[in-house]
Amino acid sequence: MDARLGRKFTHIILLLAGALWIWFSRITPQDALAGNIIAPRPGFQAPDFDLPTSQGAQIALSSLRGQPVIINLWASWCPPCREEMPALQKVYDSYHEQGLEILAVNATSQDDVQAAIEFSTRLGLTFPILFDRDSRVSRLFQLQSLPTTYFVGRDGLIQEVVVGGPMAEALLRIRVERLLGVPSP
Amino acid sequence: MMPILQIGPVALPFPSLLVLLGIWLGLTLAERHISRFHLSADQLFNLVLIGLISGLVGARLAYVIRYPQAFAGSLLDIFSRDLGLFDPFIGAVVGVLSAAIYAQHKRFPLLSTLDALTPGLAVFALALALSHLASGNAFGAPANLPWSLELWGVRRHPSQIYETLASALILGYLWPGRKLVDKLKPGGYFLHFTTLTSAARLVLEGFRGDSAPLPGGLRAAQVVAWIIFAICLYAVNRIKSQPKLD
Repeated sequence: MDARLGRKFTHIILLLAGALWIWFSRITPQDALAGNIIAPRPGFQAPDFDLPTSQGAQIALSSLRGQPVIINLWASWCPPCREEMPALQKVYDSYHEQGLEILAVNATSQDDVQAAIEFSTRLGLTFPILFDRDSRVSRLFQLQSLPTTYFVGRDGLIQEVVVGGPMAEALLRIRVERLLGVPSP
Repeated sequence: MMPILQIGPVALPFPSLLVLLGIWLGLTLAERHISRFHLSADQLFNLVLIGLISGLVGARLAYVIRYPQAFAGSLLDIFSRDLGLFDPFIGAVVGVLSAAIYAQHKRFPLLSTLDALTPGLAVFALALALSHLASGNAFGAPANLPWSLELWGVRRHPSQIYETLASALILGYLWPGRKLVDKLKPGGYFLHFTTLTSAARLVLEGFRGDSAPLPGGLRAAQVVAWIIFAICLYAVNRIKSQPKLD
């Protein structure tokens, strides 16, 4: 066999081996388990939590199953957190009637409750402000940086995580429309 | 995993920094060895710059055109530095097309230009793998092996480490200082990179836990990698049977 034929034969063997590997390594139900595992990243179930609000009520994430939810971890001293709050309020005003809920989880262990309440009152925020006094939610969501925002679908699956900010209002609207299943214009 | 690099009060997205570092180091390495590929450092720099800028503009414009109503109430968001408002796929297509048009307009030799870009692409591939390691993206399928890592709730293939090792090996094999480069016909250097990279993706995608599925459970990236691999092997046969011309 000359070199050219030998090379062609090797290439055919390599392509056949590649095709076989594609078949044998195809996705199995076990691989597709991400949706059943709890982890703070896209494609996984959002960790559940139960926190008090500034109004004295308790809100559990699991009680909002069936609704799209934005979870925004923030602090009143953090400039990008403060900067993106008006955009969050605008989006809440536009989409709350369609079922959108926003949970602004204050990282209270590194903030001051009074300062957080004053800030939210000054901006006229109408979505629930929750207080994570013992950092339990920050730990559950493996918080690395403030702000961090999680977009959670009606099925409780995290669709996207945005670390840092401020988020543009346009980005929020696009992500919310995806959560709500509104077709893009 | 290290998604955020905290320097004092400033939190920087470490994976994105690695990608930027990869572009810079890749361009530096490519420029250092540019004389072997019949181009000048300025020509290469301009080519990459045009590709990057037009890619960024294209990625943002694609988003604005796709979601005009989202920008209607906040026109300034068109210029937002928010990375989430880019369409990476369209950006890549626009960037490559713009660079190709520029290269053709300036009459750059196609195959030598691709060869000149190859060291940069190999460094960039390594930087991308390291950025996956930092962010925890491109994670592996569940597996209970001695070298499995606990990530996102279960023990998994350390797919980001596989990817990093493969990219490092490809970069080492194709290091522009090696004599291999001089022995290849024009386009052969780029072809080596594309063949090895597509083969690596074809193999390693099988260990991923986040693959985009096709009907029947096939992994989309594997099928695309197989097609590119097949085209590369066909091109290898063609290039080996042709005289050395550019």
